[in-house]
Amino acid sequence: MSRLVDMIVSAVLLAGLYATMAYGLGLIYGVLRVVNLAHGGVIMVGAYLGWYLHEQLGVDPYLTIPVVLVVSFALGVVMYRLLVRRLPRGAAGGPASLLLLFGVWLVLRNIVYVVFTGNDQAIRTSYSSRSIGVLGSHVSVNRLVVLGIAVVIAVCMHFLLRKTLLGRAIRAVAQNADSCTLVGVDVERIYTLTFGIGTALAGVAGVLLATIFSFNPSSGSAELLKAFVVVVLGGLGSVYGVALAALIVATAEVFAILILPSYLTTAVGFLLLVLVLVLRPGGLFGVRVLS
Amino acid sequence: MAMTYRSHSLSLRALLVLAVVSTAGACKPKSSTPADRAEIVIGATLPLTGAEARIGGFYKEGYELAFDEVTKQGGLDVGGKKRPVKLLLNDDTSNQATAVSLADRLINSDKVDLLLGTYSTSLVEAQTTVAEQNKMPYVNGGGAASAIYKRGYKYIFGTLSPVELLGATLMTWIDEQQHAGKLPKPSKIALLWENTSHGKDFRKGVSDYAAKSGGGYEISVDESFELNGKDFSALLGKVKAAGTDLFLADAHLPDFITLQRQYTDAGLCHKVVSYGARGSEKQAIETLGKDNVSYVLSGVWWSPQLADTIPLAKKFVESFKAKYGRPPEWYQALGYETARALFIAIQQAGSTEREAVRAKLATFKIDSLLPGGTLEFPADKGGGAQNAFVVQQNMPDGTSPIIYPKEVAKAAGVAPSPRCTP
Repeated sequence: MSRLVDMIVSAVLLAGLYATMAYGLGLIYGVLRVVNLAHGGVIMVGAYLGWYLHEQLGVDPYLTIPVVLVVSFALGVVMYRLLVRRLPRGAAGGPASLLLLFGVWLVLRNIVYVVFTGNDQAIRTSYSSRSIGVLGSHVSVNRLVVLGIAVVIAVCMHFLLRKTLLGRAIRAVAQNADSCTLVGVDVERIYTLTFGIGTALAGVAGVLLATIFSFNPSSGSAELLKAFVVVVLGGLGSVYGVALAALIVATAEVFAILILPSYLTTAVGFLLLVLVLVLRPGGLFGVRVLS
Repeated sequence: MAMTYRSHSLSLRALLVLAVVSTAGACKPKSSTPADRAEIVIGATLPLTGAEARIGGFYKEGYELAFDEVTKQGGLDVGGKKRPVKLLLNDDTSNQATAVSLADRLINSDKVDLLLGTYSTSLVEAQTTVAEQNKMPYVNGGGAASAIYKRGYKYIFGTLSPVELLGATLMTWIDEQQHAGKLPKPSKIALLWENTSHGKDFRKGVSDYAAKSGGGYEISVDESFELNGKDFSALLGKVKAAGTDLFLADAHLPDFITLQRQYTDAGLCHKVVSYGARGSEKQAIETLGKDNVSYVLSGVWWSPQLADTIPLAKKFVESFKAKYGRPPEWYQALGYETARALFIAIQQAGSTEREAVRAKLATFKIDSLLPGGTLEFPADKGGGAQNAFVVQQNMPDGTSPIIYPKEVAKAAGVAPSPRCTP
């Protein structure tokens, strides 16, 4: 029984992390139809930014989040205005956007190599190894905070997309950009803001990851893949869908250890990805689009 | 039409670039062959970026110190003539494919005389195939898996003793504690190993020892994990559920840091905790905090504490401190010793000719800074050194004294871990 509780708690905490990594990727793809391969790079940059502020200024890593949000948002806006908006829209832009954003990721990675070297880094605070008892299970304080922030982000994103004018505009552009132009929506501005918000969320995910795992300039690829699985599984256009998909992936991975060797458990997420792509290409919670 | 023009323009530009590159290539002087050169060029790659960058940097320090010493002596005495030695070092980015292609380039394009190895078993394992195919003597201090030395290769030599022996050495110390009544009999073991040749060797060392113990040990968890893993919570949940006494894992430094952090987060506690060769590293202690690595046991190939008993170790520690201003860890020592072994082989062979150096490496026995004080590459072990390991234990004051074997021990080991005592 105690092991079952442990596993459920682990799955929920892991889901928080996965969801945080996936929100930004899902938002950008949902609106711009661009697979942001630089997402992993921005996660890595966010981790370094949080770590740097913590190490140099002694700021608590969670208090660096507003700064990381602003810097990552600015990075996203610059990336969009300088690069992404020059890509052709629609299917023609697919391969070009993949190559371009992969290039951006490589540039980010190499800049960080030059500035911070390739050494592994980690954020260590007085509470880094502190845990509290929940239903007889030890739960890391850091992981609980990460889960809390993941929930807050989900609620904020839902509020933003459903209750604000900007959110309505984003959803409208995601559905039909041409019609939005006809009714006076500044589509380019919406794209810029969306790319900025998605990138800012990746930066925050980086800080949260850095509080739990060690990282180096090569970090980000595993996170990108995991985020991709969650986004595809959750379907596009649903914040709560992403959160639920994160919970499904995390639960599958955690419980897979009952029947699979440990090193194969990470493959479970990819197996789910293949199954969903074959059986339900729109994702488990995606909105069916009628042609 | 505009598109057509642009395409043509691009093609022309591409052709121009190609022409310039080709011309530059044609004008570039050919690499001189080893016979033409006065200096001896030793090629090597190390992971200077990527996951193993930190350790790669340590090996680089060891290599550079060895080369500096030879340079200060005016070069290597080869056949009665002093010849300068140059290290041609490339960054293999901790990547197998890069390590392989760079080794090929060093041999066939840069025409180096001989090769020194890279760091980490997976990279060495891949790179040794290229060296063997080219009949190039390859001395490494970064690959410890027995798989490297069980392929019948003739040109591969390694200064790291096999990880299997590391597992068995740790178990020998644990067994002493069990016989002293400090650990339960039978002791239940959680055995975790990275899914590489390195990890498989460690598993074999521990499992074989446990099997021969006559019921002294029971392996309750036997799980491998992905190299450079991120989340070990499910695996640690399994360990927790099994209620084991000993936690024996084999991990590289990044995984050790991640795993131990999550181990502590999960509130786990064992009477003996070991991560194979990891645990006493300065970086690990800084990253995890000394409280969280206290009483961790590590079996290492070398320790600066051997300076008290082995003259060459003493000389190395002094030279290293003079050059870098801090004491070395085992990584730098192995890098240094690897280069030194190759230099001695060249001098004893009186030539840089590959076959002569290979023959010397295969048969010599030299004084060494490694445990035991000598180094050889026995042919019946595939060219892998078989020096003993020393066991260290992290203490709450941040030190990691040698606790085994007794002849070189600096302190008595502690078992069971006080961290785990109610």
